[in-house]
Amino acid sequence: MTTFFEQVRIALAALRANWFRGALTALGVIIGVSSLVAVTAVSAGAQKEVGDSIRRLGSNVVLVDGELITVGTQQTASDRTITPEDVSAIEKLPMVSVVAPYQDIEGLTVSAGRDKTTTRLFGVTAPYQDIYNQAAGQGRLLSASDVAFGRSVMVLGLVPRRRLFPGQDPIGKTVRVGSHEFEVVGVQARKAKLGGENLDDRIFVPLPIVTRVLLGGANTKSVGVRVRSEAEIVPAMDEIESLLREQHHLPPSYADDFSTEDQAALVKEAQSATGTFRVLTFALGGISLLVGGIGIMNMMLVSVHERTREIGIRKSVGATPGVVQTQFLIEAVVLSTLSGFVGVVLGIVTTRLIGTAAGWTVLISVPSLVVAFLVALGIGLFFGYYPARRAARLDPITALRHD
Amino acid sequence: MIASVTPSSIIELEGVTKVFRTGPLFVEALRDVCFSVDEGEFVAIMGASGSGKTTLLGILGCLDRPTTGSYRLVGQEMATLHEVDRARVRGKRIGFVFQAYNLLPRSTAYSNVELPMIYAGVPARERRARVVAALTEVGLADRIHHLPAQLSGGQQQRVAIARALVVRPSVVLADEPTGNLDSTSAQEVLGILTRLHGNGATIVLVTHSDEVGARANRVIRFGDGRVVADDLTDC
Repeated sequence: MTTFFEQVRIALAALRANWFRGALTALGVIIGVSSLVAVTAVSAGAQKEVGDSIRRLGSNVVLVDGELITVGTQQTASDRTITPEDVSAIEKLPMVSVVAPYQDIEGLTVSAGRDKTTTRLFGVTAPYQDIYNQAAGQGRLLSASDVAFGRSVMVLGLVPRRRLFPGQDPIGKTVRVGSHEFEVVGVQARKAKLGGENLDDRIFVPLPIVTRVLLGGANTKSVGVRVRSEAEIVPAMDEIESLLREQHHLPPSYADDFSTEDQAALVKEAQSATGTFRVLTFALGGISLLVGGIGIMNMMLVSVHERTREIGIRKSVGATPGVVQTQFLIEAVVLSTLSGFVGVVLGIVTTRLIGTAAGWTVLISVPSLVVAFLVALGIGLFFGYYPARRAARLDPITALRHD
Repeated sequence: MIASVTPSSIIELEGVTKVFRTGPLFVEALRDVCFSVDEGEFVAIMGASGSGKTTLLGILGCLDRPTTGSYRLVGQEMATLHEVDRARVRGKRIGFVFQAYNLLPRSTAYSNVELPMIYAGVPARERRARVVAALTEVGLADRIHHLPAQLSGGQQQRVAIARALVVRPSVVLADEPTGNLDSTSAQEVLGILTRLHGNGATIVLVTHSDEVGARANRVIRFGDGRVVADDLTDC
């Protein structure tokens, strides 16, 4: 029997003889494989990001937002509708495990010596750090007593840390917010981005300082509420809603002066929208592979026709139908696996470029590359079978007379 | 009516017919053909075009099967043999020399001669020596790495003869081997065939040329699908 190696050698020689045609034919499979690789990597990256986002948002967390009632342009805590009494009432609900009122001020300029930055300041309590999975990258987080005593201490996000203290240790240093001075006690561990917002561009101080000292008042804009289980999120939202309406003495005809939302659900929803887009891209990749496969079949049919006489000669010197079939099948598979290999490489390059250019998280997994490669191989086998079978069945006498 | 069966019979045909169907018509290309060829014979099959001699060569070469009748090659029945087995028989027992040379155009003389041995499963180590020996035998030792297009017609046909010889076949079948050649080249090719015969090879050659036929030691004349004359009378 003819060795497999000889067959591969013959197939390679045949492909080399018509390399340009082969390369053009390969394009379909190359594009298909590389788009599958890229889509899979972008998809896996997005999936990972959703998981990370949900983790950052905290699991089973309902955000209660007080409606902004602005009197003039001065923003004060009394504009907020969530009162300390509301917070304690929510805390008493049976489904609720942790309550974390907080107040943020956007676009606040803070300084340390000559360095300045504009960032988002959060007045928080210890439970806030807990439900939003904060961790100290350096120093420590805010403690319960920091909050209880309203100490002027601060935890920096990575961005303000870099801008205010380039190349220095920030712990123990002073940051000014307006006329108020804070001592830096810690730096938050990396949080990265969530949607369009950089979660590292934040600073955290005890809540009472923001409400009483910076804004003057006791109400807060937001409350993070951790519910005991995921199943209780929706019932808890309803409960909180009726509770707050009652607390605020809202007549039935009045709209809510607050809102509740399940942020993780919003992220998942946003993700399912891009999911549809990914399914479409995936389908396009699949169609490209199909077209590529048909291209290979077409090329192989042309090749079998052109080489009818060659097939006759090979048969006359002892090639069995099986040997002829294997020869053409190997040719198709060599072409498709070479395309698969180029496609995988191109896919990796494309994925990297997309990741860098769009700033997306991409996740190239080895199994997905292997699958893409195997798909290409399968395409060669599938679409190469019919032409190879046709070659194998040629009548030697007719084939030898073919011009 | 019984063919003489001797241990040295290479080819034995008995009552071989071949019917082709072209549309509604059935054409009898061979009618009740009987003859045998012994080892070491040089037989010329002659006849006008359309006499059925090319059809006969196809059957002898196991490229085709008779419609009825029996064809034994070295004692083995070929008429009922499956295509896969016939391919193996072609590769091991038969060496073809065609009018149009039929070399693979993109393969060198070396690769063309090596081809039947690849299909016959001859080990790679052994192949090289046999290719060189076969090409030397036909006087082309210095053209081993030439492509067919770089060789003259006569040289190409000599490569084809080397390819036919390299598997040490039981019989060499030549179909108008000099039909495309000028007279000098034709003489060379016929010289080689004669020399092979002298060395003991069994050769069956199809031709319509008396000059070529004269080289053989036995002539079988065909007309209208039958044997009309044979130097020996087998049937």
